[in-house]
Amino acid sequence: MFAAWTVKHKPQYLQDVVGNAEGKEKLVAWVKSWEKTVPAKRAAFIYGAPGIGKTVTIEALAKDLDMELVEKNASDYRTEDAIERFAGLASQYGSLFGGRRLILLDELDGITGAEDRGGVGAITKIIKTAQCPIVLIANDAWDTRFVALRGYCVMLEFKKPPPGEVARHLGKICAEEGIAADETALKFIAQRSQGDVRSAVNDLQALASGKAKLAYEDVSWLAFRDRKDVIFSVLRLIFYAKTADGAKRAVDITDVDQDMLFQWIYENAPYHLKDPKDLVLGMDALAKADLYRGRIARTQDWKLSRYVIDFMTAGVAMARERTGSVGWVPFKFPEKLRMLSHSRAERAMENEIGLRIKHRMHVSARVAAKEILPYVRVIFQSNPEWAAGLVEWFDFTEEMIEHIAQGKKHLKAIQKQLQT
Amino acid sequence: MGFEMWAEKYRPKSLGEIVDQREIIERLASFVRARNVPHCIFAGPPGTGKTTAALCLAHDLYGEGFRDHLMELNASDERGIKIVRETVKTFARVKAIGEIPFKILILDEADNMTGDAQQALRRTMERFTETCRFILIANYSGQIIEPIQSRCAPFRFTYLPRKEHDEYLARITKAEEVRIGKDGLDAIFEVSGGDLRRAVNGLQAAASLGKPIDADAVYGVVGRASPADVQEMVKIALGGDFVKAREKLREMILKYGVAGSDIIKQVHLEIFRLDIPEVWKVRLADAVGEVDFRLVEGADEEVQLSALLARLVEAGSEIKG
Repeated sequence: MFAAWTVKHKPQYLQDVVGNAEGKEKLVAWVKSWEKTVPAKRAAFIYGAPGIGKTVTIEALAKDLDMELVEKNASDYRTEDAIERFAGLASQYGSLFGGRRLILLDELDGITGAEDRGGVGAITKIIKTAQCPIVLIANDAWDTRFVALRGYCVMLEFKKPPPGEVARHLGKICAEEGIAADETALKFIAQRSQGDVRSAVNDLQALASGKAKLAYEDVSWLAFRDRKDVIFSVLRLIFYAKTADGAKRAVDITDVDQDMLFQWIYENAPYHLKDPKDLVLGMDALAKADLYRGRIARTQDWKLSRYVIDFMTAGVAMARERTGSVGWVPFKFPEKLRMLSHSRAERAMENEIGLRIKHRMHVSARVAAKEILPYVRVIFQSNPEWAAGLVEWFDFTEEMIEHIAQGKKHLKAIQKQLQT
Repeated sequence: MGFEMWAEKYRPKSLGEIVDQREIIERLASFVRARNVPHCIFAGPPGTGKTTAALCLAHDLYGEGFRDHLMELNASDERGIKIVRETVKTFARVKAIGEIPFKILILDEADNMTGDAQQALRRTMERFTETCRFILIANYSGQIIEPIQSRCAPFRFTYLPRKEHDEYLARITKAEEVRIGKDGLDAIFEVSGGDLRRAVNGLQAAASLGKPIDADAVYGVVGRASPADVQEMVKIALGGDFVKAREKLREMILKYGVAGSDIIKQVHLEIFRLDIPEVWKVRLADAVGEVDFRLVEGADEEVQLSALLARLVEAGSEIKG
């Protein structure tokens, strides 16, 4: 079943909410002060950047103090009906069943335009006479619309939690999901989110959901994501340019690394060059660009890079002569970039395994990895008893077993055999 | 039981146990009787007993302690000139002890040696002939430089015929108490094509499933164990599906670590086997040659081979008309 982790792992209690210790403390003190007498300021105005836990804080607070939480958000403010109902609720401290009530007006920024002015006015009026604590939430409390309102509120600024705290929160989620996560990976996600805990949790889910392990390599490519939209528009400009010059100029609107852009074009060009003749010309242009890249690497003559640009942009654009409309095709993330770090480690491992096989079977490590390892893998996946025998015969390490068996299930079965 | 690899467990220990390559074995046996061995080149496709024959020769010549008189090197793992200058020389120049005055150096996958290393090897072979005899093993003897070839006795190994293939497998299935039907044997022979290493590995993997082996088991196992092959990739490209052909290419390069130069070599062979107009074979060979040259220049394997796949797509669509 799919559940957003921002909901599934929403903090239940105040102490679990990331960051803003000071703000939370002040808020609790103010809510508690209602137990003695109605305080001078009957509303609290919490403001700060998106995703830092303003709403979550209030929800957890209500739970902590066992209060009935009445939530309203942007869509409700306009209707007179809602405001009247709101006035009714605010006029009593206790709820029907004797508990205390907390009213939350979320997303105050959502009140816009002339027609809503009355809305803010109405809210202000109600606060003046409220009999229960009202909490207002907005991203920007200093908007002129809220001038009058602010005078009646305790102003509480919520700050972006530091990356360390966000990373710790992500770590807790991983623990609950049974994911072994690298600290560096979590720190990377946290840092990138710039204090937006919600987006950090969303990123984490996108990257780690369903995995047993989360390594730095799995997340590092996120760094490119920020520029994804930019890359997409560059690709579109290149693939559909009408002139050679137009295609070349597309490169100027981005600071994307040339090699990286090449990979994006190489990955996606075939989907936009459906006609075989166009395809040949396009792929040939990319092959030529690649040739020049090689020449630059050999000669260190960087002025040649202008030809790389020519071929990978204009070359590909001008190849598109016969292909009609291909409709909307989603752009794909370059396979090469995805595989790079991953396959390097994998190949090192295959080589290690190859050397063990070589030691036993009079073949090169290369032949071992290519011709023998695949059969060993079949045995590892279908016969744990034989596999265990082979582990001892080849002297494979645990890491190697896991790599060969490709799956926890097989690994466990083999380990069980090894113990008997 | 499958507690070790059968290909190793049932590897013949002595020349007398080798089921095939009769003429070669007979000549090698005569070397043993004469207690003298020339430098040799064993050439032939994989899994035809080249390494086994070399090991058996040494075994029969020196007896059980043959490993003390033998060095095995694999040029594929140690292909540079340094290995010749250091390891090979050190081994070759030290005099042998015992009644036979020379040692044996087996250089496997010798066709993977660089030109420099082969030149260095040539001099070493000459200088230390008294103390060391070389057995070079290669798939293609053409990749070995002429001066070395002329110093060696050549032996050409060929794929095992069906009868010997079956005899060899029968020895294993009997000893391991594996049940295999005729269709299972047919299937193994078909997929191995007489490559015995492949046949035995396939047999063992199929046997690991724990059921009597039939054709389905064999095809299933081999399908799981074989990288996408060049032939399939070429067919897909000719059929017009560039994206899928490129996926196959990536699988070979990235997942199985197949070298671009090996792929290009096979594409070249494949093109002349294709059922396409003759004139296209020549056109495509030109494209293949260009890519081959670019790879030598150090261009990116995947990008260059992709361009070649695009040519195949184009050829496919033009041929169809």
